[in-house]
Amino acid sequence: MTGAMESAKRTKADGAKIIRYRGVIKRFGTFTALTGVDLDVHAGEVVCLIGPSGSGKSTLLRCTNGLETIDGGDIEFEGALLPKDEKTLRAMRARMGMVFQSFELFPHLTAQENVAEGPLTVQRMSAAEANRRATAMLAKVGLADKAPNYPSALSGGQQQRVAIARALAMEPDVMLFDEPTSALDPETIGEVLNVMKTLADEGMTMVVVTHEMTFARRVGDWVAVFDTGKIVEQGPPTQIFDAPTTERTRDFLSHLGWSG
Amino acid sequence: MTFDWSVVWQHRAELVSATGTTILLTVATMLIAVPCGMVVAALRLYAWAPVRAAATVYVELFRNVPLILVVFWAFYVLPIWSGLGLSPLATGLAALALNVTAYNAETFRAGLNSIRRGQVEAAMALGMSRTQALRRVIIPQALRRVLPVLANTWVSLFKDTSLVSVIAVTELAYVAMQIRAQSFRVLEMLTAMAAIYWLLGYPQAKLVDWIQRRYAVTE
Repeated sequence: MTGAMESAKRTKADGAKIIRYRGVIKRFGTFTALTGVDLDVHAGEVVCLIGPSGSGKSTLLRCTNGLETIDGGDIEFEGALLPKDEKTLRAMRARMGMVFQSFELFPHLTAQENVAEGPLTVQRMSAAEANRRATAMLAKVGLADKAPNYPSALSGGQQQRVAIARALAMEPDVMLFDEPTSALDPETIGEVLNVMKTLADEGMTMVVVTHEMTFARRVGDWVAVFDTGKIVEQGPPTQIFDAPTTERTRDFLSHLGWSG
Repeated sequence: MTFDWSVVWQHRAELVSATGTTILLTVATMLIAVPCGMVVAALRLYAWAPVRAAATVYVELFRNVPLILVVFWAFYVLPIWSGLGLSPLATGLAALALNVTAYNAETFRAGLNSIRRGQVEAAMALGMSRTQALRRVIIPQALRRVLPVLANTWVSLFKDTSLVSVIAVTELAYVAMQIRAQSFRVLEMLTAMAAIYWLLGYPQAKLVDWIQRRYAVTE
């Protein structure tokens, strides 16, 4: 029923499907974190996952690159099912960049070394080449001058930008962001969102778990609202934020003080 | 009561050589116990369950038995088991290594466990294998964290080597006690022994303090 409507409003839907989630189920012991999630991510799209804490949006993101294994349904990445064997899974992970809420920079390495680590260890690039790429990526996130600094000497916003550069250095096909600004001071959130906005403008495919409704509204091409392990509504931001079709979405947005 | 400090000077050659043995025992024990401790820690964390259990039994046994008992045990039991007539020095070294390896294994295990899960996830999200994550991300951080603990173990070990005097290893404590027995210069020899241990031990303790400051983990 909604199929025709969706494609009409979905501006980037002609791009190839990069990620397809079909009936994804994930359990932790007796708790079911995802109760059957269907979602498509097209090339060049920014898909924002919003919803209350514990509704399953981070879990879905972590299932995407196999940090968590699903208990039912399918996840396809670039036309292939997420592989079970470690080696193929690793190759697939290398094509998906991930940014964590708590940055997870390697504290024993400088910003430069953090960014060069993936190309060096995973892509077996020469040190000179990996360093050139690290320099370029740090410049891209506006932190060329912080290359020799250790993470402990950087602000939260700077650390998260280095983490983005670290993921970009692998030249991924898609970037996964897991609440990238939730651990940041309000005044540094903007610098991280700006970097993400630039990436989106360059056509990077992005899946973003976020509580930043303004970002989802302005940058997102498609928004999925999660509640208790399922998507209660998905659509373009204009629908979700201006004319939500479900009570649950209206409820969630009004709790955030969102007034359209 | 009169003191005769000349006894110390008369026996200087033996004391110097015995001090050498004490240092040798400390260095040799650590050279064995650091790599072996790493292996035992890795077995306790990542090995097949029965191997893991065996490693746990070893650690909990040797960590909770007095070192002097291990020294005696090595002296009486090792020759029977191995069929070799081990020298007192080799026997003492074996006892110390068994004990300190168990301690170091616990130190390394705690160090590896102290690195939060997100670090492995970040490494794996880049496409690293578990082994690569361990080698490039976890072990380098864990080593920094445990270095001060290892340095402390070193300082304790330096003094604990005196326990192998009970099986006639000619290290500092044994030799000083021998000289005392022959010369009846009890206070002089005990004082000399204390002075030598202190003069060597104090700089080591200061070095530990420096290492703890230098390698403090900042995140």
